Amino acid sequence: MLRNLISGVWALLRPVERNAQIGEELQSFFAASVEDKIRNGMSPESAQRAARIEIGSREMIRHKVWSAGWESWVDSLVRDLRFAMRQLRKSPGFAATVIGTLALGIGAAAAMFTVVDHVLLEPAPYRNAGRLVEIQEVDKSGRNAWPQPWLDIEQWQEQGRAFEGIAFSRGTVNGRTFLQQGRMTVEVGAEEVSANLLPMLGVQPLMGRGFLPVTPSLGPDKNAGTIVLSYAVWQAMGGPRDVLGRTVQINDTAWTVVGVMPSGFRYPANTYGMGQVWTPVELDKDDTVRDNTANSYMVMGRLQPGEAAAAAQAEIDTIQRRLAPEWGSAVREDHSQMKVERYTGTLVAADVRKALLALLAAAGVLWLIASLNATNLLLARGTARQREIAMRRALGAGRWRIVQQMLVEGSMMSAAAGGLGIGLAATAVKVLGHEIAPRLPLPVPARPDGWIVAALVGMTAVSALVSAAWPAWIAARAPVEPALKQGGQQTGHSRQHNRIRGALVALEVAMSLTLLMGCGLLLRTIYDLRQVPLGYRTDHILVASLDVPAYRYANQDMTTELYQPLLERVQHLHGVDSAGLMTQVPLGETFRMWLRMRLKGRDVNATMTAATPGVEKVFDFPMAAGRFFNADDTPTSQTVVVVNEAFARAYSPDKHNPAAVLGTKLMGSDRGAKPATYAQVVGVLQDVHQVGIGRPSMPEVEVCLTQIAPQSTFYNMLDEIAMDLAVRTGQPEKVMAPGLRDALRQASPELAGTKITTMDEVVEDSYGSQMLAAHLLEIFGGSALLLCVAGLYGLLAYVVNQRTREIGVRIALGAPRGNVLWLVLRQAGAMLTAGVAMGIGLALASGRLARGFLYGVKPHDAWTLAGAAALLLACGMLAAYVPARRAARIDPMEALRVE
Amino acid sequence: VGADNRELVQGTLEMLVLKTLALESMHGYGMALRIEQISKGVFRVNPGSLLPALSRLERSGRIRGDWRSSENNRRARYYTLTAVGRKALEQERRQWGRQIAAIDRILEA
Repeated sequence: MLRNLISGVWALLRPVERNAQIGEELQSFFAASVEDKIRNGMSPESAQRAARIEIGSREMIRHKVWSAGWESWVDSLVRDLRFAMRQLRKSPGFAATVIGTLALGIGAAAAMFTVVDHVLLEPAPYRNAGRLVEIQEVDKSGRNAWPQPWLDIEQWQEQGRAFEGIAFSRGTVNGRTFLQQGRMTVEVGAEEVSANLLPMLGVQPLMGRGFLPVTPSLGPDKNAGTIVLSYAVWQAMGGPRDVLGRTVQINDTAWTVVGVMPSGFRYPANTYGMGQVWTPVELDKDDTVRDNTANSYMVMGRLQPGEAAAAAQAEIDTIQRRLAPEWGSAVREDHSQMKVERYTGTLVAADVRKALLALLAAAGVLWLIASLNATNLLLARGTARQREIAMRRALGAGRWRIVQQMLVEGSMMSAAAGGLGIGLAATAVKVLGHEIAPRLPLPVPARPDGWIVAALVGMTAVSALVSAAWPAWIAARAPVEPALKQGGQQTGHSRQHNRIRGALVALEVAMSLTLLMGCGLLLRTIYDLRQVPLGYRTDHILVASLDVPAYRYANQDMTTELYQPLLERVQHLHGVDSAGLMTQVPLGETFRMWLRMRLKGRDVNATMTAATPGVEKVFDFPMAAGRFFNADDTPTSQTVVVVNEAFARAYSPDKHNPAAVLGTKLMGSDRGAKPATYAQVVGVLQDVHQVGIGRPSMPEVEVCLTQIAPQSTFYNMLDEIAMDLAVRTGQPEKVMAPGLRDALRQASPELAGTKITTMDEVVEDSYGSQMLAAHLLEIFGGSALLLCVAGLYGLLAYVVNQRTREIGVRIALGAPRGNVLWLVLRQAGAMLTAGVAMGIGLALASGRLARGFLYGVKPHDAWTLAGAAALLLACGMLAAYVPARRAARIDPMEALRVE
Repeated sequence: VGADNRELVQGTLEMLVLKTLALESMHGYGMALRIEQISKGVFRVNPGSLLPALSRLERSGRIRGDWRSSENNRRARYYTLTAVGRKALEQERRQWGRQIAAIDRILEA
């Protein structure tokens, strides 16, 4: 074994010596044979001749001896690699096109597959996440979900047979949470969880015991005052080994660390981008009632193995029906329906899911186009090399040897394409992560998934190898003689090949048309969205979204202690024309609150914002009727609200006159205990798109921030969670930002890191998924177009080259050059028309995928389709024109001399 | 003609080489001659198959080759059977015997 290896390596390293050795032995064999023959009475001359005949070709024997060892295989592989390198270097354009094409397909597909796999298929980092369900109650529309009181949850825990366990949690109620670390303050996500929640998710703490199992009871239990940290928070603390048992300060409260969760763990699963902490839920007196003054929780259940969500739903429904009489609340009866949903399905919004799937399909199509294109190019090359192959066979090369040679060439190109594709995929995932991340509730992986890349590269390599070796295999099976004898290169074989290749090009065209169509539709959508009048000004406005440090103002009035001084300071900054505060600027994505109130005995649902009088000037909000807030609205004056037209349309006493809603009184619903507090409608704003430009306005109620004091009903929600500062200024952002930041820092140190953007950017960001999808489809569609053009050009150039002789004869016999041009263009036209016809069908069929993103344009918009088809046809004909002109310019004399 | 008959049964050449070398060291032509003589001309071994077989046997350590001068002062590569080769010959011989017997039985049946 070892000897075999050593002598093989020696033979490889010293091929000349090895050959000389073989030659010497052969020579001595020959000499011995001659001697023997002379001894038997032959003349020296005839003995030599006889010996030579007996031995045969020395070269052949040398080759046979050489092939007896394993090293010959390595040797031929090295030769093949060198030869393949030479071949590729001889036609760099071809090699670059094939490699580039395949790499593009692999890169785009791997990136999209990685994102989709991660976000849609593996969204929650828990054990058997598929068995986790979220239990919510929904109102009659089925759209708005509400959390649950403990007393109901307790019943489910006791009676639910479909569940292995039921746990619950709630986000911290009072504003945002900050981890205090010496002089540093970091915002963290905080969630109060039931003691059984983390075990139910099936994730063990990295360090520490976590929370102790307890039966929920009123008041503090064994877990009181303890806290579990996420890995990121632990790292933010410097990752101390002895963190367990230490005290951390959160919003001025001290907690004892009892656990650190492993890296990547997060709960709720759609929180990311910041560290998290978990503290135990502590039941209090608000957990002893069932009406909607009760504390409410998000409820998670783990289904028994094999149990369906529908069965669990039925069970919960039954339990709820029994409990209904105990609610004692009109509002709760209003949404008495329950919804049990797989947790993983709730994490990604339906439109985002659709967007990702559509983009995934687009990436898949691009990969197919790329593979087809490479196949086509390789087939063309293989066919063109039939004579070369025949020649090599005639010189004694075995069939397998020839196929092996082609396989080596194919795998070299696949390997290059794979390497390049992986690089492309890595870049693409980074770009995607950067672009998509803000629009997804889940983190995007940092690098492409290994398995996906491997699978794609593998499939690509197989297709490339097959298309590289196939023509060689065919050629190697064909009899050598005719291939060598024929003058031209036209045979029945290549005609058939051309037909296949024509069909492939048509298929490419069809798929590209689909991508271009999608791209066109999205571009139209964005164009249309941009044309929608917003109803207010967006120019020259800076927006700062504040990280509200509510804990610092626990026993103070934030309106007077934080917001008013801040506004005062900002208004006096040089360059500020006007400034205002608003819980959320229109089209912003920070926070949206729904509230339920009563108006003239009817229930009213509307989104709620708080604003200072100044925002009217900043945005130039147009009033439909009445007035906006002004300086006279103070905590001691009558509470006033401003509503929008959508609200007036829905709830005004006179549907056709929005102004009729003025003067009506709005009361808190259910908190019927305080009938004295009501708010009077003093103005109606014209409708403004709140969520997205493509979505209709929702009923909205605005309250005056300066009227809100800690004793106000919605103080917690309006003051303590989110606040945007909007500033109208004639100065550019760069000039204003530092002064603004200073003012923020002076108001409260936590605000120093506030993100400052322009209102124009906020609007631009609101195009969101459409913009992203459009950009990606531009890339995909553009690449597809390019590939198509390359494929068409490649095929025609090859066909013209192959028919040079025939065309030469035609021209020599007097065919006008125009006819020759037409001959080639006609062929291109046929492929393009077939492709476009197929493509139209495909585009119409797949249009439904895009429906969710479109605005102002139908998925089967004829103009867009016509435009995409025209673009393809034009580019295709242009690609065909080059080889066609070459054909028309063929010099008959030269063409006939070629062979 | 006899061309076909003179081809060796597939795979037996290496065994015959080992057997030939069991008596004494020899060079390639000597082996070819010996096999032809002993088989009374039934088998003729040409260098195209003999030399690769020798290369293979030497690779696997069953024979050892070294350059010596022949009886009439000509340099030639002489091959000697090694211990490994002797064992291999024994084994192949036994196997061959079994196969021949089996084939015989089938033909006689």
